Amino acid sequence: MTERELLKKIKENNAEFSEIFKLYYKPIFGYIFRRTANFDDTADIAADTFFKAFSHINTFSYNGISIKVWLYRIATNEINQFFRHSQKHNSIFSKVDFDIKEMFSNYLQEDKQDLEIELQKHGQFLSVLQAMKLLPQRYQEVIALRYFEEKSNKEIAEILDMNEGTLKSLLSRGLEKLRDKCNQM
Amino acid sequence: MEQKNFEEKLLQMSKPEVSQLKHQKMLANAIIKAKDKSVLSLWWLSIPLYILAMLLMKSFFMPSTTLFSNLHEMAHQMKHTSIFFFVFVPIIFIIINFISIRKVYFFSGSPKTITFLKAVWLNALIILVSLIILFVYL
Repeated sequence: MTERELLKKIKENNAEFSEIFKLYYKPIFGYIFRRTANFDDTADIAADTFFKAFSHINTFSYNGISIKVWLYRIATNEINQFFRHSQKHNSIFSKVDFDIKEMFSNYLQEDKQDLEIELQKHGQFLSVLQAMKLLPQRYQEVIALRYFEEKSNKEIAEILDMNEGTLKSLLSRGLEKLRDKCNQM
Repeated sequence: MEQKNFEEKLLQMSKPEVSQLKHQKMLANAIIKAKDKSVLSLWWLSIPLYILAMLLMKSFFMPSTTLFSNLHEMAHQMKHTSIFFFVFVPIIFIIINFISIRKVYFFSGSPKTITFLKAVWLNALIILVSLIILFVYL
């Protein structure tokens, strides 16, 4: 099924949104996790991203960008807001009702343990991330999308809604700044 | 050269991967069932509109008065109430709807003009009505 067909199905029946979850929750969660390196914050931001996507899916029009790019765009915006507001975040979990709350908490706890173990295996990544967090947001987002998510320049330009020329200069300057920060550490 | 090496290093270094998420399915179900709870109600805007309609009727049935003279009289008698409904409420609605329009643009994924206008026509109408109320009062 193409994204266009999926979008049509969702607009006819909102329950079909679960298909978006199946396709994109893991990559988006991974992207947020590689930006924050914190499971709890990632779970909050990812839930917020998908809640906002679900609330606005009926206004989404498949003209310029794909659903995937759109989700990355919302996630990037949510991450920026999270860092801008000194990492204070109102959890979306208070807005949604879970059938079996305890079961959900257990699953969340198990995922947290798995990902914390996974994170510890990548020491070099963690030190680069620590250095990257000292840079302004505009550099962080382009570096993360290019080098952590390995997105092409075209995709990054779409996600961040900027032209490729601006992106290239941001990447070049950001990389230089990151290299300096890494050398200082 | 040094920059190129650093770039290679970033691309080649291992990164944490998300293999499976057990909470995913439950979260999906919960979000699909959730509803966005908004405390703001359009009824607030209907109050000044209702008062305006009443004053308009009054000026229609009492030819010696006009809408503006009735409004002026009301503003004189109930200063705080009229400022609240005719200035404060419309200004708040203008701000909220401008923010909404920006949000719709963002969440619609850079839509075409027509598609965008279809999505925000109600917000635009509320801004227009709010501006009319504001100008009539001021």
